Amino acid sequence: MKEQQETANRPDNTAFTQQRLPAWQPMLSAGIVIPGFVIIGLAFIGIGIALFVTSQNIQVLERDYTGVENNSPCFKCSDPSTKNCVCKLDFSLDKLFEGPVFFYYGLSNYFQNYRKYGVSRDDRQLSGRLDNFQSPDEGCVPYQYDANNKPIVPCGSVANSLFNDTFKLYQIVNGARKLVPFDGKGIAWWTDHNVKYRNPSITPLKNAFNGTVKPTFWSKPAYELDPSDPANNGFVNQDFLVWMRRAALPDFRKLYRRITEGDYKNGLPAGNYSLEIAYNYPVLDFDGRKKVVFSNVSWMGGKNQFLGIAYLVIGSLCVVMSIVMLIVYAKFKFPDEE
Amino acid sequence: FVRCMLHSCYSSLILFFIPWAAMYDTVRDDGKDIADYQSFALLAQTCLLMAVNVQLCLDTHYWTAVNQFFVWGSLSAYFAITFTMYSNGMFLIFTSVFPFIGTARNSLNQPNVWLTILLTSILCVLPVVAFRFVLMQLRPTINDKVRYKMRKEAVPAPTPRRHPRKVSTRRSGYAFSHAQGYGELVTSGRFLLKRPTKSRSTLFSQVDSPLAK
Repeated sequence: MKEQQETANRPDNTAFTQQRLPAWQPMLSAGIVIPGFVIIGLAFIGIGIALFVTSQNIQVLERDYTGVENNSPCFKCSDPSTKNCVCKLDFSLDKLFEGPVFFYYGLSNYFQNYRKYGVSRDDRQLSGRLDNFQSPDEGCVPYQYDANNKPIVPCGSVANSLFNDTFKLYQIVNGARKLVPFDGKGIAWWTDHNVKYRNPSITPLKNAFNGTVKPTFWSKPAYELDPSDPANNGFVNQDFLVWMRRAALPDFRKLYRRITEGDYKNGLPAGNYSLEIAYNYPVLDFDGRKKVVFSNVSWMGGKNQFLGIAYLVIGSLCVVMSIVMLIVYAKFKFPDEE
Repeated sequence: FVRCMLHSCYSSLILFFIPWAAMYDTVRDDGKDIADYQSFALLAQTCLLMAVNVQLCLDTHYWTAVNQFFVWGSLSAYFAITFTMYSNGMFLIFTSVFPFIGTARNSLNQPNVWLTILLTSILCVLPVVAFRFVLMQLRPTINDKVRYKMRKEAVPAPTPRRHPRKVSTRRSGYAFSHAQGYGELVTSGRFLLKRPTKSRSTLFSQVDSPLAK
């Protein structure tokens, strides 16, 4: 009787249940660790060199145009009472700035990663749902309803603080100004433009915004952001999308335009340039800084020395460590008998 | 305890500052934004997961098929879940819950993101490896000595398994460890008596249980 019970409860005699699975038992022996460190070290040094060299070859030109100093060309615009101020920033290039050239605007001391700021948006509204046009999300307070209790579209402080400086670049050729053509298509992520942000499906777009008002800081409503191109109007406007993609760090840069067309296909040739800036965006209240950045890119992205240097440093440290461990191993060799 | 604290402080610093420095003022390889909030969060998260998995691999002393399945499985599950959470479908159904749409696709196809992840996870793990190795050389514990001995003995051609009924050398001495255990060593008396092979101590001859058929 007991025998039968025992047989019934007995687990199967398979490898899995009897813990007899074939296995591999790695051990941290000297033969593995020291060559491992050497290989990792050498590999890292190789990667580091590649990254560093690539980063060195990227050209970057940065110019601050906040206008804080007296002799800055935009000083007259930094006075908050001047409206529609235009300032000119001149610079010159001594050699060809290889294309395609990317033109960014940069902001410093601007905390787009602040939590209250970041949640102050309504993603449902921005994906074109009309019920959210009339009743914006609670998180948008105080940019939810205006003084007359009309809903703000797009609501929230992220949208309200849209960057509105505009730039025109001229090359000075034989004393005459020649406009450098900008390309504003496809500067935001494809998924942002095609999936995340959608205009309401009412044509004309203006009718969808009946009964709503534009954000307080904006000069024109959303459906007039680019009337000439319906694929760039409303919520899918490329500049708007670039702005809505919240930056992680307080010093950030956002893509404004690309320089890829016409005479400038291969880049910006050496010469004198003049950048005309319509200075609208106030940053001096919070000691922010504005700058423009010209840059070209490579397979590793923009210019960033850190990764290259880090890999080189870690690689050499690995090699050094492996030598140290070799010495330790040789001196304190594992005793053969217990 | 202090060692744990030091290790965790070090890991936290690495896991934040390396992605921070790598993302500072950089962009994707087509010029578009990569240093945005959601990409940075995804990067830090992925670095963390890789570092933890590598550490786990290090700590697993006895690798069976089950272990392999769970480690690789957890990694692939992470990526599967991430891509699902950031996919178009989830966004269209639950719009405000999943605002991270497109982030995985747009940042994880960048080589410098993967290089950052590699650097971070290796940097978290290498000091541990080095420390353990040095400690093993300078102050080997008994466990290590035994494992080393068994490794050395296993290196000459292992005897083919003649008969399943022979006193099983694959008995597990410890539950759930899938480890071979020290049954054979103990029964041979070698370990305790510090002498070459002695006749089996009869005290432990009843190692066979009715289960080992």
